[in-house]
This record gives sequence, structure tokens and C-alpha cells, in this order.
Amino acid sequence: MPLFGRSQKSPQELVKQLRDAVSALSKGDKGDKKVEKASEDVSKCLASIKALMNQSAEQDSQSEFLAQLGHEMYSANLLLILIQNLAKIDFEGRKDVVHIFNNLLRQQIGTRTPTVEHICQHQEILIELMKGYENKEIALRCGMMLRECCRYEALSKIMLYAENFFDFFNYVEVSTFDIASDAFSTFKDLLTKHKMLSAEFLENNYDKVFDAYLTLLNSENYVTRRQALKLLGELLLDRHNFTVMTKYISNPDNLKLMMNMLREKSRNIQFEAFHVFKVFVANPNKPRPIMEILLRNKEKLVDFLTKFHTDRSEDEQFNDEKAYLIKQIKELKPPEDS
Amino acid sequence: MAEGAAMQKFLQLDSDQMHNFDLDHGMSFIHDDDNLDTGLPFIHHVDSDQIIYHPRRRRAKYIGKYLVGDVLGEGSYGKVKEVLDTESLIRRAVKILKKKKLRKIPNGEQNVQREIQLLKRLKHRNIIQLIDVLQNEEKQKMYIVMEYCVSELQEMLDSVPEKKFPLWQAHMYFVQLIEGLEYLHGKGIIHKDIKPSNLLVTTDETLKITDLGVAEELDAFSKDDTCRTSQGSPAFQPPEIANGLETFHGFKVDVWSTGVTLYNITTGLYPFEGENIYKLFENIGKGEYTIPDFVDKSLTSLIRGMLDYEASKRFSIEQIKQHEWFRRKLPRTSEIVRFPPLSDGDHLRSMTVVPFIEDMLCGEPSEDEYENEDELLQFVPNRNNQITEQTLQNEIFEEPVPDPKHKKRKEKVSGTRRNKFNACTQS
Repeated sequence: MPLFGRSQKSPQELVKQLRDAVSALSKGDKGDKKVEKASEDVSKCLASIKALMNQSAEQDSQSEFLAQLGHEMYSANLLLILIQNLAKIDFEGRKDVVHIFNNLLRQQIGTRTPTVEHICQHQEILIELMKGYENKEIALRCGMMLRECCRYEALSKIMLYAENFFDFFNYVEVSTFDIASDAFSTFKDLLTKHKMLSAEFLENNYDKVFDAYLTLLNSENYVTRRQALKLLGELLLDRHNFTVMTKYISNPDNLKLMMNMLREKSRNIQFEAFHVFKVFVANPNKPRPIMEILLRNKEKLVDFLTKFHTDRSEDEQFNDEKAYLIKQIKELKPPEDS
Repeated sequence: MAEGAAMQKFLQLDSDQMHNFDLDHGMSFIHDDDNLDTGLPFIHHVDSDQIIYHPRRRRAKYIGKYLVGDVLGEGSYGKVKEVLDTESLIRRAVKILKKKKLRKIPNGEQNVQREIQLLKRLKHRNIIQLIDVLQNEEKQKMYIVMEYCVSELQEMLDSVPEKKFPLWQAHMYFVQLIEGLEYLHGKGIIHKDIKPSNLLVTTDETLKITDLGVAEELDAFSKDDTCRTSQGSPAFQPPEIANGLETFHGFKVDVWSTGVTLYNITTGLYPFEGENIYKLFENIGKGEYTIPDFVDKSLTSLIRGMLDYEASKRFSIEQIKQHEWFRRKLPRTSEIVRFPPLSDGDHLRSMTVVPFIEDMLCGEPSEDEYENEDELLQFVPNRNNQITEQTLQNEIFEEPVPDPKHKKRKEKVSGTRRNKFNACTQS
């Protein structure tokens, strides 16, 4: 009994025990007596690893225990095995897996982060984690681990460029609200945490990403629509994404979409749409198709904006921007050569 | 013996009373011999400084819903005071700007307006958060309520003889500084005045970049970060500004001054110095500097990268984040440099609003602390004026008329009132 026994088990023994127990758990069927026993063993092992982790953290000898534990886990490829079998592990055990995983991930020796390196060499771990969103039982646990992974550029890069990344466009819309929002925050982290990385990704995959993004903006689900719109505004207004912004605001379809969203029923969506719409109008080099749409709707837009959210008198910035837009639209002139 | 002490107390009170009385009649001074009239066998001597500098009691004062505490610091635009949000009970800091003063500073009002506009849009862990802006037209004052920070890096550096932080602590702040800067740059904002005195720290060691007074916001559609003006602190300016170039790349200016900051907090020195600004700019313009030998190879290479003479070759934020020294995890090997204690010896810098609350609730004014230095200067002549002026503002809580029963206790209230909240329960 590692928890109460006198002699402490070495990381090596613990990992071996855990691996055997998980393998027994994965083989059997539900209801099997052997499986029940294995499940119990797995949870016990996880609990004692977690306890030792906490203990060593307090004693400041953390690095040594963690380093050994990590080493054993990597060579047994236990991180992958644990995640593959996460659904079979019981409730407490799953929590412990998250704890152990995230702790190992944060472990740093000098400038090296060994767990990050390990995952880079075993990308299946990330793929498995992303797929975790498809299983209600473990979705939130996987989310917690994924967001910890998002903090590392190397891991974010793998996730962004994995085919599975595009599954997020479905995950953020699933009917279970907490899973959808969890998936959205992971999705957002991937697109915003590492500015250069995501800017490059968005540039290189512009069509694919924004085609998919359109489904979010047109979603039936109010929360998805609103969150997606807000994130779009953030992405476009971040200077790192300058190229993407320029491209986005050159497309008349995008302008039409925003103009429609300005008239949505929900005031919050109207407001978020305003912050994307303003970029189209403020652009000093509007391409002809954009110019034409704005010119065609000049009177209507001025009228609409004048009456738009007039009760936000407190929000100076919004009012300044609105006044600026109205002025810009009023002063719009058709290009000389038309 | 005991009776004597009590008597002494009484006498002192008496003199205070007299003193107050005199004030109300516009008289300037109390004579030391006032006490003699009591005809008692011993004479209590009251030092003149005690009399002169004890005129005002602490008054609980409100700015909107914020209850005002002590002065935290003073900038070129005005004072910064600690306040308590009476609705949320969150500690805040308020920058008090006098419009009169502001008009005298070139671009003063403009800079403040711009700073407020900028701060309103920003929300990041490492950027000071703007909470509220209040105006008082009558007083011609403006109040900018911000997150409370316990100290600034400069003040902490000044408090230790070696004027630098242990490496791990410098690293902790530097990482946060870069995070904040990356966010600012992402918003198209160039800070232009990064230096230790513009970096604040909260009680949980979170670094906050402050003072966007001279920051510049790029046009969202400008292709690059070309800037023309700079009003930052000379010692932190890059060669392109020291050499007076017409235009320069803004983001790289921030990288340079962050590099100087890193140099400064890890060595206690400045890479460039000069007796005056001309000499200083001449030295920066030459771009020659040395890094002390005790700085390790990794940090040296980071500083060299950030202080590259050529802006185009100078590190970008991205490169800094990739750098070995940035990514390194430094163990807490040495004692942390803490913020210095307040002048009254409070090492924790506890909330200074508390004594004001006590007075407000107990009607037990202490006479041992002054509201601020102003009162020392405008002591007698302005007193009446001030009261009427303030009453008009509806901002102050009139100090309750001292109950004669309480007077005897006055003396007990000493300089160590802080934290004695339970005093309110007696009566």
C-alpha cells in the first residue's frame, strides 16, 4: 500500500504498477471483476503519485522526483496510455490524471521543458486530447489539459496545424453548453496566445479558416454567434494580424455579413458587429466593391448609425467612433473614374 | 503618580482645546505659557512644533464612492492617493489632477485625455487597469481611479544598497514586462517611456505597466510602426532618437528601453550615462557600452540583442520570448527585495484608509496625524476658507462634533492607530 506503507515506492515502481493496472483496465469489459479491481488499482496509483508530487513540491525537492517520474512516464509512454483510457478511469482518477499531466507539463529544467519535448515527439497525445471533446465524460478534463498545453508555443503549433483543429468548429457548437464553452476557450487560446504563430497560421490557411469561421458567425446558437463575432473583432484589431485584417476587409461578402449583423435582434451582437464594421469604413484604401456597397447604402447607413445605440452615452469611445464613422460615410465620394 | 499623569493629559488636552479655539478666531499662535493660568504646581511644557503642526484632525473624505486615505506618491501632474471603494471594498489608487497645474504643462491636458482613452481600451494582467474617471468642475480637479499597486520598481531598487534585484526576481518582472509589452504592441500602442519608475507591482508580485502619458497609438491601417516624436526619459532612449532621426520604428524603441530597464534591474547600473542630456545623448549616439563581468553569458546575449545599435537588427518581442534567458526558470536562490516600509514603519503597507474610517465611525478624532503636507503649509490662514469650500463640495463627511466624554481618550490615540479597528466598539 503505497499510501500508508512505510517504505515509499520509487517512481519506477509506481509507473510500472500504474501501467500494468491501466493495461488490465483497457483489456477487460465492463462489469468484469478483474476490471473493477484494475480500476481500483489505477485510481490508487494515481492518488499516490499525486500525493508524492504535492509532497515533493512542498519539500522543494520537486525537481528530482518530478524528473524521475517524468522520465519513467515518457519511457512507458504512459501519458498517451492514460489519455487513451481516460474514459475508463473513475471520476477521482481522472482528476488526478489532469493534475499529474499539468504538473509534469510545467516542469522545467533550466530552459528545457522535458514533457513538452516528449509530447512533441508523441503528437498523438495532443490528437487524443482534442478528440476528448467528442466524449462528454471526459471533455472538460481534456479541456483542462489542452489549455495547459496551449501555453507552450511548440504544442500550440502542433494543434493548429493538425487536421483535427478544424473539429473545433464543431466542438464549439455542441449542444452541451459547458463543453461548447470549454472548447471555445481552448479554440480562442490557440488563436490568440502566441501572436506570431497564429498570425502565420491564419495567413497561410486564410480561406479554410474563414470559410469555417463563417459557419460560426451564421450559427443558430446565439452564444456561438456572439462569441465568434467578438473573437473575430479581437483578431482583426490585433496588429499582429495586420495582413489577415487587410484581406478580410477587402471582401464585400464580409462587409455584407457585418451589415446584416448590425441589424440583428440582439443588441450585444449588434454592438460586436459594430466593432468589426468600423474597420471596413475606417480603411483608407477601400477596394472598389466595398466602396460601392457603402456608397449604395450611404443615406441608410448614416441614418441607421445616427440612431444606433444612442443610450450608450457613457461610452465615450463608442460615441467618438460612431461619430467618426458617420462623418466618414457622409464624406464618401465615388471614385473619379466611374 | 497616576493622578499626575492624568492631570498631565488633561492639561495637554486643554492646550489643544485652546489651540482649536484660537484657530477659529483667526489667531495664529498659542503661547507656551497658556498653561500657567491653570495655577497648578507643575508646568507642562508643550513644544511649539506640537502645537503648530497639530491643527487638523483626520477627516474622512469622499471622492464619489471612494473613501480617501493617505498620499501614495506624487507625480508631475498631482498627487496619487490610496482610496477604498466603499461599494466593493476594493483598494484602489486615485490620481488627482488639478486642471490649473495641467494647463501649465505642455500638452498636459491633451496627454491626460489621450492616456484615459488608451487605458479604457486596454485589459491585460500586466497593464494598469483604469477603473473610473471622476470630475469635479467646482474644484477644477479630475480623479483617475486605478488599480492599487503597492510599490514601483524604482522605489524598491532605491531601497537596497546595490540598487538591483536578485536575478530570479528581475527575471520574474522582466517576463511580465514582456507579456504586457506584447499586448500593447498588439493593440498598436507604443509606450515610449518604459523604465523602472513606470513599472508598478501589486501585493502579489504582479507587474503593471503604467503611465501611458507619452504613448503613441498607431493608425490601425498604417503599414509599419513609423514614429516621429518621443518624449520619453533620456537615459532610456535608443540611438536613433539620441541622434535625432526624423523617423524611427516605434516598437524597437520600446525594446531598447526595456533592454535598458533589464540592464538596470540586474546590474544596478545604466548602460549609458552623461553629466547632462547632451553628453548622455552623445554617448547613446555612439552606442558603446559595457556589461559587467558578473552578468552571465545568456543574460549578456539577451541585453546585447535588445540594445543593438541598429533598430532593424535589434530583437523583436518574439525573439526575446524565444531567448534562452527568457525561457529559463530561475530558482529563488536569494531573498526577495521587498518594497520599503512606509515612513511610519509599516512593512506591510496596510490600508491607510482604516484610520479615517475609525474616526468617521467613532467620532474620536486623532490629532497625531495630518491629512497631507498641504495642511502644514496653509495652516492657519486658510483653515476657515477650506472648510466652507469643502462643505460645498458635499464630498466630506463633516467630522462629528467631539463628544466631551470622548475627549479624555484622545490622548490614548497614538501613532500606532493603524489596524486598531476594534477601538470602534468601545463607548
